[in-house]
Amino acid sequence: MEPSRVQMITRDVLAVLVVAIFMFPIAWWALSSVKPYSAIFDRSGPVYTGFTPTPDNYRVTLLGVSRVDIGMEQGGEAAGVIKGGASSYDSRQSLLDSAIIAVGSTALTLLLATLAAYCLSRMQFSGQQSFLFWILSQRFMPPIAIVIPVVFMFRDLGLRDTYTGLILVHSLINLPLAVLLLKSFFDDVPREVDEAALIDGATRWQTFRRVVVPMVKGGIAATAVLCFIFSWTEFLLSLFLTTSIRTVPVKISTFVTSTATEWGYITALGTSAIIPSFIFILLVQRHLVRGLTLGSLKE
Amino acid sequence: MSTATFTQEGSSWALPRFMTAEHPFPWLAPITVMLLVFGIYPLAYSVWLSFHKRNVVSRQLDFAGVHQWARAFSDTRMWHSLETTLIYTFVALAVQLALGILIALLLDTDRKGYGILRALMTLPLVVPPAVTGMMFLLMQDGSFGVLSFYLYALDLISPAQPILTQPVTALLAILLADIWQWTPFMVLIILAGLRALPKEPFEAAAIDGANGIQTFLRLTLPMLRKVIAVAVLIRGVDLFRIYDYVYIITAGGPGTATETLSFYAGRIYFTGDFPYAATLSLIVLVVLIAVSNVFVRLFKVRF
Repeated sequence: MEPSRVQMITRDVLAVLVVAIFMFPIAWWALSSVKPYSAIFDRSGPVYTGFTPTPDNYRVTLLGVSRVDIGMEQGGEAAGVIKGGASSYDSRQSLLDSAIIAVGSTALTLLLATLAAYCLSRMQFSGQQSFLFWILSQRFMPPIAIVIPVVFMFRDLGLRDTYTGLILVHSLINLPLAVLLLKSFFDDVPREVDEAALIDGATRWQTFRRVVVPMVKGGIAATAVLCFIFSWTEFLLSLFLTTSIRTVPVKISTFVTSTATEWGYITALGTSAIIPSFIFILLVQRHLVRGLTLGSLKE
Repeated sequence: MSTATFTQEGSSWALPRFMTAEHPFPWLAPITVMLLVFGIYPLAYSVWLSFHKRNVVSRQLDFAGVHQWARAFSDTRMWHSLETTLIYTFVALAVQLALGILIALLLDTDRKGYGILRALMTLPLVVPPAVTGMMFLLMQDGSFGVLSFYLYALDLISPAQPILTQPVTALLAILLADIWQWTPFMVLIILAGLRALPKEPFEAAAIDGANGIQTFLRLTLPMLRKVIAVAVLIRGVDLFRIYDYVYIITAGGPGTATETLSFYAGRIYFTGDFPYAATLSLIVLVVLIAVSNVFVRLFKVRF
């Protein structure tokens, strides 16, 4: 039975409406980032279009322009704007910190996980299932249970508040996902490929590096993207393990102060932090479900 | 495994068997070291901490037996936070699953334009949870929040009692952020499950005159069992250890009304009482391991 025209239109309208509802918080957020102070804090009702867009919030957070200078540009009106919160809103260092940590931990994770995943996909050994389950169980570890002892451990090792420290813990968090996901990609490559290479005289290591890894490039890229995003968005571990290094999510949370919550700067930095993730995630759409389910479901 | 290639051609000095690339050892050693040092050692240290007590005078940790554990079990605030965590987990899971199935069914079509809608639905997943918390905090602000404004206009909430100042609405506020961010997770996974279903049973059902709801309940849902189990497991674990949204949106308030177990452990940590914080975080872990193990067995989830 073919659906009628009315049914099809109803479905289209409903689908667009549902997706629009889910897009609203992001749209509102992005809109707020270009609003002047007065439009954000308007108590008479939500402001959608009745304001002059301004790049000032981005200039302060991304370009490091002092907000006092911006206040001077605007003249007297801004006098009331500059109040409270002596903390710095220049977030360039945070973006750099986040990028260094996300790239570093992605690289470390991929290095360790590719080796392990290839082995778990290709070799049989006793205790293999238990080993897999052990790795999986790391994914279920609550961050709060890891972070308290790690704080002490890092203090002793001099790793507190260092890039190395955060790269290590973010890798730890990402390893289970990466191993299970990469294993599922390696499983897609028939074993005959390895056997043919080995018969042709390649060593196991050469087979891995020159034959099998190039065949799962797409899968490795998808895994890298997911690891990058998880590190980029991670909050709790960064909050506990650093004081001077501030990743973007932690930096944003410091903009909430007792005197004034600077929504303009928060939304500007938040929007800037979301955009790279959006681009990355759209690039790996095809492998997303597999990634989200730790390789157990293939699309 | 083929053992014919076991002889390592080209290597002049012979490595012990377990060091060769044919043996799992060199492949798994790096990750094992990493997980032991940064996964198992901290865990062992946590357990050790949970049997100790801060000595305020000597600033040392003294052995205290099961003191911290007894303290946790008689701590009403711990029980309250556990209850909050459980309510939070089950409500979020139920809503996300129901909405996820409905939206997945709605978007599961090859019609033009739906590909874009499905792609848009993935966007909430990559917003940093701390930013998600902020997004909802901004919308739920009592005096200029857009969501508050419409709720006041609809008379669902009184301006005299803003969302974040009442225990029940504050918990709903956190739940809303979670539901917004993670319903798309369910949608995507269930969509993938729907796409993978064989066509024949549905054609047969249509010929037999089954209506949409019958087909869904008798065919679609049972066939999606495995997919739903995986999604519920992964989501359930993440929900139970919830921290970020609580920290950002309510900071456990008003009072301790929206304090979850992870958040309570974090709060104790910041007071400097590390042994008790470790004990509370271990309770999160124990509950998680127990429940997820039962779940994995019950639904035969495999990775």
